[in-house]
Amino acid sequence: MIVNSFITELALNTGLSNLNYLYPLFLLGIVAFVILAIGIRIENPRLFASITAGALAIVFFWLYFLPGNPNLVMSGTTIYNRYGTYFAMIMILASLLVVFPAARRLSKKADIFYAILLFVNIGIIIASFSYNILVMFVSFEAVSIGTYIMAAFGKEKRHLEASLKYFFTSTIATAFTAFGASFFYISTGTFDLTAGLKVSSFQSMDIALLFLAVGFGFKMAIFPMHQWAIDTYDGAENSIAAYLSTGSKILAFVVILKIFLVGFSGDFEVVFYLFTILAIASMTYGNIAALSQDNLKRILAYSSVAQVGYLILVLAQVSYVGNTSSHAVTLAVATGMYYSVVYIFMKGGAFLTMNIVKKDKVEISDVTGLFRKSPAVAVSFSILLLALAGIPVTGGFFAKYNLFLALITGQLWWLAVIAILNSAISVFYYFRVILYMFKDPVGETDFNLSTSVRIPVIATAFITVGLGVAFQMVYLLMSVAPGLFG
Amino acid sequence: MFIWAWLIFIFPLIGFVLSWSIGRYRKMLGGVIASFMVGLSLLASYETFLYVNSLGHPLYQSYQWFYNIKIGVYVDHITLIMVLMVSLVSTIIHLFTMYYMKGDPGRHVFFAETSLFTAGMLGLVVSSNLVVFFLFWELVGLCSYLLIGFWFFKPNATAAAKKAFIVTRVGDLLFLIGMAVIYNALVGYPGLGGNSPLSIPFLINNASSIASYMGATNLGIAAVLLLGGAAGKSSQFPLHVWIPDAMEGPTPVSALIHAATMVTAGVYLVARTYNIFFYSAPFAMYSVAIIGAFTALFAGTLGIVVNDLKRILAYSTISQLGYMMAAIGLAPVIGAAGISFGMFHLVIHAMFKALLFLTAGAILISLMDLRDVRQMGGLWRKMPVTITLFLIGSIALAAIPPTSGFYSKDTIISASWLYFSHYGSFQAFLPWLFLSLGALLTVLYTFRMFFLVAVGKPRSHLAEHAKEAPIIALIPLFILAFFSLFGGYLFQVPFYNYLATGVTLPSIPAYIEDIPLIYVAIGFLVALYLYGTSRWKSIDLSRNFFYNLLKWKYYMDVLYTRIIAERIILPVSAAFSTVENSYNSGVDRTGSGALSFGTLLRRMQDGVVENYFIVLIIGISIVFLLVELFKVVI
Repeated sequence: MIVNSFITELALNTGLSNLNYLYPLFLLGIVAFVILAIGIRIENPRLFASITAGALAIVFFWLYFLPGNPNLVMSGTTIYNRYGTYFAMIMILASLLVVFPAARRLSKKADIFYAILLFVNIGIIIASFSYNILVMFVSFEAVSIGTYIMAAFGKEKRHLEASLKYFFTSTIATAFTAFGASFFYISTGTFDLTAGLKVSSFQSMDIALLFLAVGFGFKMAIFPMHQWAIDTYDGAENSIAAYLSTGSKILAFVVILKIFLVGFSGDFEVVFYLFTILAIASMTYGNIAALSQDNLKRILAYSSVAQVGYLILVLAQVSYVGNTSSHAVTLAVATGMYYSVVYIFMKGGAFLTMNIVKKDKVEISDVTGLFRKSPAVAVSFSILLLALAGIPVTGGFFAKYNLFLALITGQLWWLAVIAILNSAISVFYYFRVILYMFKDPVGETDFNLSTSVRIPVIATAFITVGLGVAFQMVYLLMSVAPGLFG
Repeated sequence: MFIWAWLIFIFPLIGFVLSWSIGRYRKMLGGVIASFMVGLSLLASYETFLYVNSLGHPLYQSYQWFYNIKIGVYVDHITLIMVLMVSLVSTIIHLFTMYYMKGDPGRHVFFAETSLFTAGMLGLVVSSNLVVFFLFWELVGLCSYLLIGFWFFKPNATAAAKKAFIVTRVGDLLFLIGMAVIYNALVGYPGLGGNSPLSIPFLINNASSIASYMGATNLGIAAVLLLGGAAGKSSQFPLHVWIPDAMEGPTPVSALIHAATMVTAGVYLVARTYNIFFYSAPFAMYSVAIIGAFTALFAGTLGIVVNDLKRILAYSTISQLGYMMAAIGLAPVIGAAGISFGMFHLVIHAMFKALLFLTAGAILISLMDLRDVRQMGGLWRKMPVTITLFLIGSIALAAIPPTSGFYSKDTIISASWLYFSHYGSFQAFLPWLFLSLGALLTVLYTFRMFFLVAVGKPRSHLAEHAKEAPIIALIPLFILAFFSLFGGYLFQVPFYNYLATGVTLPSIPAYIEDIPLIYVAIGFLVALYLYGTSRWKSIDLSRNFFYNLLKWKYYMDVLYTRIIAERIILPVSAAFSTVENSYNSGVDRTGSGALSFGTLLRRMQDGVVENYFIVLIIGISIVFLLVELFKVVI
């Protein structure tokens, strides 16, 4: 009783109305500290993994059951609506996906890893709801710093190298973001994205736009800010690479959507040119560079650069159409939402599949004969790769199909044609991997086919197909999508 | 939601999965499971029958599938008759097959495939949308292909499977084009009102307004295209060439697919979309009548010279399918009674033809798959029960009164005389001429077959040592024999009135009505004179022009393979492949170019972080300059 009234009073005094929206965050933070406290005595990665998964699952459902009508929290810097809830939930799914696979390779200090994963999720939830550049910047940094540490986990030097490269480049990105944010403030006089100020005449707004694009584009690994990602995904532990390429990448996508489609709504012309060029460059670069790769993890890394190119086509389409309440825009945003969830499972699953190879440097020839050893894993991995290539029945197909449909609805025929040509190119390297899997092995091949490795692969493949079967989800998301614009 | 209507085709689908997966380990269980599941769908059909009868109007349930295509069931009286017939015949044949296939190492696959076929056939019958209909239509085509080629080690069987697949594919293409024509014409139709343009209930309930919207001629063209699909499946002239070859498959397959069920899908398609034919230009209905009638005669002429037991039955199937088709085509004069006549003959034919095929299967088992009727003979004494059942099937096929074949077939012939007397023109005379002459031929080839098989002395070593099939395997056949004998007498009039209201039997002058009967008598006596004794051995027709024409099947196989396939399609496809090859090498060069470009891009990724910043700064500057440039220029 006393505590309750105290909190209410605190809320009134600090502008924290609607505090119940923050309880899930408190829960995550408390559990993180509890894990740290237990970790002093006990070193049992599976225990921490279970606690973390439990907390994340609770928060997942808690977020779902929070009132969905738009609510301003923390003096209006954060808007809780269904749109933000959707993204927060799918990013929690991305964390849940790696919680158990990561436990395999963490012998020491697992408590720190899981506590950091929970702290990262706090940042993710705030960032996915916030509409204020400053809040976004801070929560985004919380996520970044957490992921630097996560990337360094592992037994070998190459993990450290991966983490360092990530750290160095990301600090530069942070500087760009800070610069961009201040230019935004100079031009508009506010950090609030929903202020809706049309100040396109200011030249400094263009600079703000460019700098913010560089800063957040780094995290999303858009060409030409992608080079850290190739080395980091290749160097980091498989499950952490899976997390970096799904969770933190989708977060960057969420933030970019908000900043450029809400904050720069007066500058759609520049946003359109910028993201069209970036999308075409990313798709083409990612696909072509992956063609001649022999390192399997690098192929997946390049393919994730290409996938980002498809994702940011949403921005190109919305800024081209302009009218944010039109059907074409709603379809495009809903497709972006659907693409994100499919992407999390297909890409996360593909990276987790790398665990079957007992080496750190995974060559494409290392999967030769997988079909003979374990048909289920080989077929599941094939499904994930087919989804990435966009072959029907999988969720990847319907994600791409709706994306191209949205582009055509928005009269961007030529952009759709470029994207389709790019998908055609990408089929080559995905099928190359599949071909190797179904070949007969030359010598003795040795795969790690323990249950903890097999289950995530098969489960993600199932979910990817399930999302394809449930492709009508896009039409449901169309009622949520307008939430992007506040 | 009425779940039984969906279970009709879901049960055999489950049976497919179960009998495949369990049958791998327990071979015998495969057949039991498949038969049980098909039996359950007979139960589901019966439940649906009771429910729809109590409902008083057709049952229609559908769900949005994608865009404007709905997936659903539409069950009216024609559908009920079909599902009952298909599931009953399929159950009986499954039971018999457990005996027939008992030693085969791959029998679980066989039962899985027949189960899948039954699911496809029942799904086709109940589906409410032409798109779904077409999907099931292709599924049964696939199963037909798989089952004809089930004994894949026989080169004849694989060739026959291929032929069946390719020939029916011609029909499928026509069907698909017909659907496309209808869809394209109706997609902007104001009276659509939330329906799918290819929804069957929508098409048949609004056919007259659709005809005035599309124009009767356009609708007629679409209808004739649908008829093309039906002709492919029901093997009507000129797409009839595949069924005789399909006899290379196991005999239960011939009974199930190529006699009783799948081949009637074409007739069912025409019966179901009957209103489209009815309201479109007259040529659509007339083509149904004339193709059916001509096929009835044409296939009969071929049937009298074939020596392979199963192929004789195959030609008779084609001929009888022609009768059904022709009955529906008579609708401009007799109205919806045409459907009643056609569907009744369909059901009766399914019964006696399944009986004939299954007894033929029992004969072939004891004769070690010797199929030449000239080497049989005297089997009546060796296997009395089987041959008696075979006789019952034969007299029903020959339409000897009072078997059910007489009731179902002579009504059609009489109705075709009404058709002539209504129009009085030469074209209107043709159906009656063809159909009644067909009756003569039917009797001829039926009794030629029967006498050669059953009477006289055994003419080969195998025939001397033929043995009766175990009586337990023949039990299911008694049900079929019962319907073949008494089905017509018991059910004719109630059946007609169940499908269409106020159907009266065609009343025509008695001397016309007796002509088919006279034909039957003549045919029987001729067959008895020639084949009831051994006189046929002394006839040498090998230099007779007509005999050779028939023996070569009017040279139609030669036309299709030698002329059309080898002279026309192969050169054209060779020309295409030349173009394609140059295109392919172009693609190859582009690919290798992209690969070397990819290697170049990879060099940028050298692992040195400082260089990454250089790439970043140069890259983003170029991007920014481009953006500013576009802003100014565009």
